[in-house]
Amino acid sequence: MQPHTSSARAAPPDEGPRRRRVRRSALLFALIAAAFYFAFIVMTLVRGWK
Amino acid sequence: MAEPLSYAASHDDHDHKPHGWRRWVYATNHKDIGTMYLIFACTMFFIGGGMAMLIRLELFKPGLQFFDPQFFNSMTTMHALIMIFGAVMPAWTGLANWMVPMQIGAPDMALPRLNNFSFWILPFAFTLLLSSLFVPGGAPAGGWTMYPPLVLQTGASFPMLVFSIHLMGASSILGAINIVVTIMNMRAPGMTLLRMPLFVWTWLITAYLLIAVMPVLAGAVTMLLTDHFFGTTFFTAAGGGDPVMFQHIFWFFGHPEVYILILPAFGIVSEVIPTFSRKPLFGYEAMVYAVASIAFLSFIVWAHHMFTVGMPLAAQLFFMLSTMLIAVPTGVKVFNWTATMWKGSLSFEPPMLFALAFLFLFSIGGFSGLMLAMVPADYQYQDTYFVVAHFHYVLVPGSIFGIMAGVYYWLPKWTGHMYDLKLATWHFWLSAIFVNVLFFPQHFLGLAGMPRRIPDYAVQFTDWNMVSSLGGFGFGLSQLLFPYIIWKCVRGGQRIGNKAWEGAHGLEWELPSPPPFHSWTTPPSDAVIARGAAH
Repeated sequence: MQPHTSSARAAPPDEGPRRRRVRRSALLFALIAAAFYFAFIVMTLVRGWK
Repeated sequence: MAEPLSYAASHDDHDHKPHGWRRWVYATNHKDIGTMYLIFACTMFFIGGGMAMLIRLELFKPGLQFFDPQFFNSMTTMHALIMIFGAVMPAWTGLANWMVPMQIGAPDMALPRLNNFSFWILPFAFTLLLSSLFVPGGAPAGGWTMYPPLVLQTGASFPMLVFSIHLMGASSILGAINIVVTIMNMRAPGMTLLRMPLFVWTWLITAYLLIAVMPVLAGAVTMLLTDHFFGTTFFTAAGGGDPVMFQHIFWFFGHPEVYILILPAFGIVSEVIPTFSRKPLFGYEAMVYAVASIAFLSFIVWAHHMFTVGMPLAAQLFFMLSTMLIAVPTGVKVFNWTATMWKGSLSFEPPMLFALAFLFLFSIGGFSGLMLAMVPADYQYQDTYFVVAHFHYVLVPGSIFGIMAGVYYWLPKWTGHMYDLKLATWHFWLSAIFVNVLFFPQHFLGLAGMPRRIPDYAVQFTDWNMVSSLGGFGFGLSQLLFPYIIWKCVRGGQRIGNKAWEGAHGLEWELPSPPPFHSWTTPPSDAVIARGAAH
């Protein structure tokens, strides 16, 4: 599929750091979301064991 | 953070948008995805609204009129899920998709393919949820709060409910990540955080809330699923679990969710009031800090939804006082909006009318919220129509009027045409009158002791229920004007220039109307950004 946005085109040289920042921060927030998901399940488990 | 971007180097300015169904199915353009979100939200608004009509039809008179109690309960449950997750949240995401890149001087969202994925999850999620109406046992009927053990008695629709909630949650989280990443990384040079429009600020904070709390809901429903199918007893007292724990977890998600539904409306009202007062927003920075404070406080008030389960006095006091504390930043906001209008050159076009109605009617919802925050009073109000009146004042003239204000504010920008102002003014007045006829009597019903979520009621509640139902039918019918006005505007109308409204400021008004397929292919200059940041 041909990408349709300007941001998806061949990046000029100075786009690299910004792309890395975008990727890093997206992954960080995804990890935070996953941490909340698992933390609440583990918390309920721990409480159930007491 | 924002650094000089070089869109021009990678962009050839051709309007090479794809055509036909591919444009929408493979869409990665923020405006196309925004449009799809808004159409989806509007469709869900009418489906959820149709369910509300059925609820009000049944409640028009005491006694069972049309539906059996199970179906009535399904309607209340589905109405809530559809309106919250299918109508209001996607409408905000649609507005964010359309406006955030244009307002921060970005060419598009940071993660366009993820954006496409976030949207296309939703039709599957809601098809799954709605198809549960046709399975044995009917649609989920335990309330949108899904409290165990009641929800564990749901029939074949239970796994459909859980999976659809997971899908909605995934869509919201991915959308929120995209918005945070876009705002933090894609701002034009010179667009500092404290130059951002309030709509962008409120969405940034909303997105953080979404990332933090949607996984909590997903965790809660995952545990319900394993309790139902895999023999765990997270929330089953007989196996050592704790049903009240579910309520704590649910409301840890649920209260911030209320702010997820309302904060973007604060942003829109903060855009609309200065425009139609022809004055800069009063106390811009205070508004930003107030929104951030409200978001922070939303994490430490959850148990006010469940005072009657029984909790230590210290906990009751803590949750009561922390809830009341929210009135402080909210008061700052209401004061600042009022101060913005003070000695302004006011005009009352449809976006301003909806914003003003928001100001008055959301405040009514806020005040009844304060009443509910008081523990001894809450013991009386709990599970009565007073609560129904309270949250509908927050969500209908709050969130939905905020969405209407935003759509009427930016519709000329999106289409390049001015809409039928007279018809939109009619839409406003009919909505504003009927919404009060619909919900205000529910305060009286609740104070008189009418419980919520029942298909039948004692005869002394008849009169106000009839009034409320008539208001509901009037409100529902008057909403048909909304898609008609939009459709008429998309098809044509008086052409407008870059600025639809004389007093408007902001980068979106520097672009042509309608904006080109790729917004801001070259970043706006500092002078343009400074002109846009009128605060």
